[in-house]
Formats: sequence, structure tokens, C-alpha cells
Amino acid sequence: MNGDILDIRGLGKKYPGVEALKEVSLTIRGDSVHCVVGENGAGKSTFIKILTRAEERTGGTILFKGREFRPRSIREAMNLGISTLFQELNVVDQLTVEQNLLLGREDTLLGVIRRPDRNRRLYQILKDFAPDIPLHRRVGELSFAEKQVIEIVKAVAAEASLLIMDEPTAALSQKEAGRLFELIRGLKQQHITVIYISHILDDIFAIGDYVTVFRDGAIIGTARVADIDRPALIRMMIGKTVAEGYVPRKVDRQEVGLEVEGLCTAKLREVSFRLHRGEILGFYGLRGAGKSEIAQALYGLDKILAGSIRLGGRPVRFAIPRDGLRRGVSLVPEERLAEGLILKLPLRPNVSISNPGKISRLGVVNGRRERAAVERYVRELSIKVTGIEQRAGTLSGGNQQKVVIAKCLNADATVLLMDEPSRGIDVGAKEEIHGLIRDLAAQGAGVIIFSSEYQEILNLCDRILLVADGRIIKELSNSEASAEELLHAVTQTKRLKP
Amino acid sequence: MRSNSGLWQKLVLLGVLALIGTVLSILSREFLTVTNLINVTRQVAFVVITGSAVTLLMISGNFDLSIGSILGLSGMFFAYFIPLGLPLGVSLAAATLVGTAIGLLNGFLVVTLRIPSIIATLGTMYAARGLALVITGGNSIHLGLGTNFTVLGRGLVGPLPITLLLTVGILLLFYFFETRTILGRYSYAIGGNRRTALLSGVNVNATTTLLYVLVGTLAGFSGVLMASRLGVGQPMVGQGFEFDVIVAVILGGTSLEGGEGSVIGMLIGAFIVGFIANGLNLLGIHSFYQSILKGAVLVGAVLLDRVLKERLRG
Repeated sequence: MNGDILDIRGLGKKYPGVEALKEVSLTIRGDSVHCVVGENGAGKSTFIKILTRAEERTGGTILFKGREFRPRSIREAMNLGISTLFQELNVVDQLTVEQNLLLGREDTLLGVIRRPDRNRRLYQILKDFAPDIPLHRRVGELSFAEKQVIEIVKAVAAEASLLIMDEPTAALSQKEAGRLFELIRGLKQQHITVIYISHILDDIFAIGDYVTVFRDGAIIGTARVADIDRPALIRMMIGKTVAEGYVPRKVDRQEVGLEVEGLCTAKLREVSFRLHRGEILGFYGLRGAGKSEIAQALYGLDKILAGSIRLGGRPVRFAIPRDGLRRGVSLVPEERLAEGLILKLPLRPNVSISNPGKISRLGVVNGRRERAAVERYVRELSIKVTGIEQRAGTLSGGNQQKVVIAKCLNADATVLLMDEPSRGIDVGAKEEIHGLIRDLAAQGAGVIIFSSEYQEILNLCDRILLVADGRIIKELSNSEASAEELLHAVTQTKRLKP
Repeated sequence: MRSNSGLWQKLVLLGVLALIGTVLSILSREFLTVTNLINVTRQVAFVVITGSAVTLLMISGNFDLSIGSILGLSGMFFAYFIPLGLPLGVSLAAATLVGTAIGLLNGFLVVTLRIPSIIATLGTMYAARGLALVITGGNSIHLGLGTNFTVLGRGLVGPLPITLLLTVGILLLFYFFETRTILGRYSYAIGGNRRTALLSGVNVNATTTLLYVLVGTLAGFSGVLMASRLGVGQPMVGQGFEFDVIVAVILGGTSLEGGEGSVIGMLIGAFIVGFIANGLNLLGIHSFYQSILKGAVLVGAVLLDRVLKERLRG
């Protein structure tokens, strides 16, 4: 479609006491990839929710393909041609690829499902987009990236002319993201316009035609991606320039904190390394390379088949995480919501849980001491909350991550394992968390960052270990490392694999 | 550990209880008499004693169907030990420990063998009931129990029944566990998010096992009290008791998924159930209808709870 597919005028959304969207006006050109960026709480999510009719607008007009767009339900919005690829995928793991694709559209005779007609357009679309996904495979056995493809195929089959993607690469490896980008280019050729929401600025430069920046419920500006560079985009997003980059620090190589020798688990082979006190060590690799598995093995979550772990010179082996915590080893897990926090509970117990000895005697909690300990971390990490009784589930992503870090500090961690420490949080919060990590190392803690974001690794780590196929393939100091070098090394190993 | 919505919930529950009380006192003259209220409290006491521990267990996201059978089994053992010449205190302790042992078995099945709690405790529910029948071949024990046998269940300290004092004591103890101890913390944490709790240094297996042991112990103790009150060891006592307790706990705002709930809520829930049963008896309504009403109250209360929570969360 040429011309504008979506014309939004004065769109507003007021919640009691909050104006989430303030008179937003925006046009989206047909057959383009239009990126939307902004910090958490900038209004992106509200914007999408209104387009998909998950929320009702309180003002303004939307013209979709020249016609007033006013669906009454999510389904109606989909039928009109706006589909959404959410972060939480909408596939049924127990069904096959084919059953998922046909779900809700089965050919039936008196309620009995008939043998599907393989000539349907659906099969052609799947063949075009993903020839290597077998129809009879259970979706539960597929990777996240493959599941995403299934959802995209469903949207194309539903004749969507506008596809909204919410952080589609957040859970993808670099390579998978590359494949997704190819797919998006294919969508453009099929005259499907994409609204692409992401925190990852590299994505925008890789795939975007236009980029619109949201801040505080309003649009700061829209630009052609070709006309803008990274620093300018970041300036628009946060209204201040961020100083990025690694600051060299002195590490005393005499004091070894953690020493790992020949560690083997079901997924790891002969992993050996040393972590010094005050050092930030980075493990970089693609998703599924084995980074998280190293963290889990060190933290007593995986069975260790061979090898030794020494902490401050003494051999240790943790049967459960509690053993590690008591010896000063803490983990900031990869999945913040599923593993890092208890969303139902207030911030207070979420932080204090890691160190009962600090707040209790003979199993009885001293409320005053507990509040004081938690309030100290809220102050020190500048966690933005109404109070320590605020539910963890109601905090923003960045503040949630700070709560998880506070929990680790509360356990008096001397070795901090951080798995994807800034995944899914906005640029401002990311910078703050990186600052925090540097402070911790400066105070003498040994920190290990496990990350699939090379920018994060390069910004933080004194030494970088490259991981592929469950083993360490290379060690670099920060000064030797570059983004190209890191990517090159880990992708090459992948290609060597049969 | 509780937020504002928890306080709200309890106020609403208290309101419901007061409403039922008011209606019943208008409909029946006998309802608001001291004798009757003591009677209701006696009925409710057993539910509250076991329910105190069950609340913590359910907050942790676990479940126990075997408590009714444990109650029957421990009561039987209590009546079995006395005629053997064992002293009262020893019999009481040993019979209670039978409950502890079944609780430990439940913990082992759920934690170590990873059998879903409903299945595991359904199994021990049948097995414990069977064992209670096996002891005497299905007969009751009422000979050779002596006069001391009924002291716990019927005795008074001053004007107050011993059972009541014990109930209050246990309730307060578990209220303390829930609000002030690491055990309470861990129960909420495990029910709120088991994986996070594990990663945060909670010994999930040990804590869960301990909770099953506590439930078994208190169910056993309830059984001893019940036998003492009845003055007889009956193998079929406590059938359906598990549901009375679970209904009270759920009415009290404990979610089946865990992570939410309170002992005080359970207490109010137990009284709601007790009032309704007692009131309907006084009004001469057949127990068949009582059962229908109990079911309706349970479903209605859970619905009300959800509506209120959604309102409060906006």
C-alpha cells in the first residue's frame, strides 16, 4: 500500500489521575518498518494497547487505510487487519505446528475436524517464511524464534496489513535476530507494514525505515532512520546524553575470589577460569551457548559431573543455592519475573529473604531491623518506590532489577553472578545498573556478567570470556576486544558445528 | 507480610460473619445464648486447631487431604493406648506423633518423590483411614478408657473449656509463625514463587516438609481432643473434616495457588461455616440443605473475594 496506512490525530488516554498519552499525532507510511522507542512508561505500551483495542482511547481519531478505525474488541481489530506479536507468544505448546496454524480456523464437519486442505494459502506462507519448520512437530519442541515465526505466519494468513511487534528480539540471539530481520523485509514485500517496538537501538538501525520517539506520554519526534545516528536517537529518548563506554580500572590480580577448574555438567565441557576480587568478568556468547548453564552450575542449580570450584582458595560445592548464598555467592537470574522476584509480595520481603540471619533471631523476625536493612538498599540503589511495602509486581523493569540486586547485596555477596543483568529495561535504568555494578566491583566484589549483548560486555567487563557450545573458546582483555571481534568469534564456532 | 487489601478482606469477612450472626439471632432466639455460642465454638475449635497449620501449608502452595483421616487415626490410637496401661500423657503424645509421622510421610511423598500434593495426600487419606479400621477390626474402643480420658475434651479451667484454651494458644502460635517468623516468610515466598524462593536461598524442600509435619501433628492432636470429647475411639471420626478445614482456609482468603492468606482469615472463615451449620440446625433445616448451602457459600465467597481484589487493584 502506498501513502499512509495509519493516520492518528490527537490520540489521548487518561487514567484516573494520570495522562498516559497526551494528544499524540502520528502517520505511518504503508510498506514501511516504523520503529517506536522510548523509556519504560513513555507511553509506547498504552499506544499499542489502543491500536489493538486492549484499551479504549479517551480522545482523538485513528484513520486506518483511510477509514475511521474504531474496533469494539481485540478480535475486531485483528479482523480489520491489525495483528500483534506480543512478547509473550500466543502459541499452544502441546499442539503441532499445523494445529497451531489452523487453530480457530479448522475445517470442520459437524464439529469434527476434517483433514486439512494442504493447498491452503497458509501452507504456502509457512513454506515461504520458514521452509525448515516441520508441520508435525510439537510447538513446545521449537525454539522461541521458531515459535515467533509461527505467530508471524498466522498474522500473514489472517491478511493483516499492519503487524505490531513488541520487543521481538528481546529473547533472540544475534543470529536469530538476523533471521527475523530478513523475515520482516519479506513482510514489506508482501505489503505488510510493521510497527516495531524495541529497546535495542541496533535493531532500529538494522531494520527501521522511520523511528518515532515517545517520552512522558508524548511524541518527541519522528525521523527517517537514514537521517539519524545513535547518539542523536538516545538524546531524543532520554533528554540527556549518556556517557557510554568502558572505564579501565585497576584489578589486583593477586587476590583470587573464585577459581573454577575443568567444570563439567550435562551441558558444559571443561570450563575453567579465575575471577579476581574487584574484577568484572564477562561471559559473552549467543543465546543457548551455555552462559546461563555456567551460572547455574556455580550456584548449585545443576549437577556437577566433574571439576572443582574454589572460593577464596577453599574447595566448595553447593547442593542448593542457599549453600552458595551463605558463602557469599549470589545470582541475579536471567528471568527477572519468573526467578528473581515474588511479584505478589511487597518489596520488603523480596529483599530481606536472602539473609534471614541478618533480620531474625531463633527464627523470629525483628521488624525494625528488617525495615532498616531494606530501606538502606532502597536509598543506596535509588530504587523508585512509594515505600518498602509496594508490591514488587507493580515496579518498573529497571526498579525490579534493582530489587533483585538489593536482595543479592543483602546476602553480603562477595561473588556476584549476573545473568543478562539489563535485559528488557530502558536505557536510563541500564546505565544506572551498570554504574552500580562498577561501584560494587570498586568495593571489592568479584562480578561475573553473563550477557548476549556485546555492548554491555564491552562497557563493563575487564576481561571477556567467549562461550560457545558449552565451553570457553577464547579469552580477551577489554582493550583487545571489539564488537566485531566478539561477534566474529562466537558465530564462527557456530558455523563449524555440523 | 500483608498489604492493605489483606486488611480489607478481613473486614469484609468480619462483616459477612456479623451479618450471618445478626440474621440468625433474629430468626432464632436460641442462637445468641451463651450455651449455644460455646457449643459453636467447640465445633469450630477442631477446625481452627488443624486449620492454623493448614493455612501456612496452603500459603506455601501445598495441599493436604489426609487431615480428616489423621484425626480419626490419632483418636483411635489414643483410645487404644490407654487400656494398654500407658499413662495419659504418654498416650496423648504417642497418638499425636502418629499424626506427625503421617505428615512426614506426606512431606516425603510430595517433596522427595515429587508426587503432586493432592494425589499424595489422597493416598495417605485412604491409607490412614484404613489403618484406623485395622486396629480394632472396624470397632470402636470405649472400654477401659477411665475418667481421665475425657479431661482434655470436656474439662474446664475455671469457667473455660480446656479445648478452648488450647485452640486459642495454637491459633496465637500460628499467627505468630505467620507474621513474625522466618517460617512464615518462607511459606509466603514458596507459595508466591517457588523458583525465586529457591534462588533466594530458601531451603524449599526442608520448609515444605516441615509444614506437612506441622499439619500432621496438629491434625493428630485434634484427633486426640476429639476422641477425648466423644469419650470413645471411633475409626470413622473426621470423615469430611478435611473439607471443613479447607473451606475455612479458603473463605479466609488463602488462594489455592499460594502466596496469600492468613490465620486470622481462616478463624473468621471457620466461624462463618460454624454459624451457618449451627443456625440451620437451630432452625430445624435438614442437613441435606445445609450441605447445599455450604457449597454455595464457598463458591460465593471466593467469587466475592475475587471481585473485591479486582476492584482494589483497579
